[in-house]
Amino acid sequence: MLRKRIIFTLVYSDGYFMQSRNFRLQKVGNLIWLEKYYQFQKIAFSIDELIVVNATRNKKSITEFANVITNLVKDVFIPITAGGGIKSMDDAKLLFNSGADKIVVNSILYNDTELVDNLVYKYGSQSIVGSVDYKKLNNCNSVFIKDGSYVIPMTLESYIKHLEELNIGEVYLNSIDKDGTGFGYDLDVISQLSKYITKPLIIAGGAGNELHLKEGLKINGVSAVATANLFNFVGDGLIKARESLIKIGFALPLWDFEQAERQK
Amino acid sequence: MKVVIVDYGMGNLRSISSALSYIGVDDIVVSSSYLDLSKADKLILPGVGSFKNAMSQIKLKMLNVYLNEIVIVKRKPILGICLGMQLMGLSSTEESYTEGLKFVNGTVTKFDETLMTVPHVGFNQIRIQDNLKLFEGISDNSDFYFTHSFRMLSNEKLNQSECDYNGNFIASFEVGHIAGVQFHPELSQHNGLKLLKNFIKNF
Repeated sequence: MLRKRIIFTLVYSDGYFMQSRNFRLQKVGNLIWLEKYYQFQKIAFSIDELIVVNATRNKKSITEFANVITNLVKDVFIPITAGGGIKSMDDAKLLFNSGADKIVVNSILYNDTELVDNLVYKYGSQSIVGSVDYKKLNNCNSVFIKDGSYVIPMTLESYIKHLEELNIGEVYLNSIDKDGTGFGYDLDVISQLSKYITKPLIIAGGAGNELHLKEGLKINGVSAVATANLFNFVGDGLIKARESLIKIGFALPLWDFEQAERQK
Repeated sequence: MKVVIVDYGMGNLRSISSALSYIGVDDIVVSSSYLDLSKADKLILPGVGSFKNAMSQIKLKMLNVYLNEIVIVKRKPILGICLGMQLMGLSSTEESYTEGLKFVNGTVTKFDETLMTVPHVGFNQIRIQDNLKLFEGISDNSDFYFTHSFRMLSNEKLNQSECDYNGNFIASFEVGHIAGVQFHPELSQHNGLKLLKNFIKNF
């Protein structure tokens, strides 16, 4: 049977990995730090997928980000999705050539749908993840682009319908209100949307512990749960959460890190 | 051992070459030149993207001619991955009807979007019959990573493993020295590394 997935999202900005809270970024450490303290390659054997987002504000250097991806993916044999600030076919090509298996796009879903079409044509819809950031404004779910800095005049519901027409492969739904809080996913909105999203749905924003992952995985239309919480989940937090979710019967793929070591 | 990853300008080749190097392949070349391809001990045909676009790139680089000589005439082992596997079939209906390399008797069509979520993304279990060379030491119902909207079907058995996504489709085939996998071994953790090792060792 098709398994559900646990995805780790790394938020990158200007040379560092960040802890994000409501899209405000706090520096945690660089790539060397990530490897030294968290043995990232080992952790990668306990998650199902990795998403790396370049959240550098102002000018994003896609070349520098591509180098980070290349270093990060060495000896990591799970799907890697990279993105943040993709504005051209060349940007996408650079990320694919640097080791990304899929790309994640956000602002262009609103302001350059022709580029989205071209990306889908060249790389196939399964390679394109569409990311949606939303937050409550006056009791209405509003969609934000450009790293959460610009609100667009469309409701979340109509924006999701717009995405369905773009033929992208997956939808990454992130609640800015819940982001980094550790209070749990925005379950009401997710349950509502999951009923009519026909694409695989990845949910993000708010996971702080195993229970939250469980609540997300339980929702029928949810294909994957993502967390970007470096403090709560890197180390052996995610490994343990995963083990216990499998123990209580969640259909996650079964991995064995020691077996992987023996393939060397 | 020289393994050549056939490059026709689409998708991520880095994860395949890094997986090969992880399992100990010492000579990995990414190329589309006839000289490199003909010197290979084994070939890998990767691929992400649309079938039609890929076939036109392949023809532009004359790879259909080279591969036919090296794989069909000289019988060099080849492993197609994802789109690379599909390209070895007879045809695909992606965008419009396009003929493939015709190495195996399989046709590629889209999953029925009215019946299930498309693309089929994530780890799925596959049913593995005994004596498949790619799956030596890999148990039945193991997880592999899939991401695709089209899949291969055949009116004959291609010495295949199967995956069920609202109906069975070909997850892998082994026709003599020609092998293909719909999933991504390079993204399937230890199961995938093991499979790549088997391809290197058993083909």
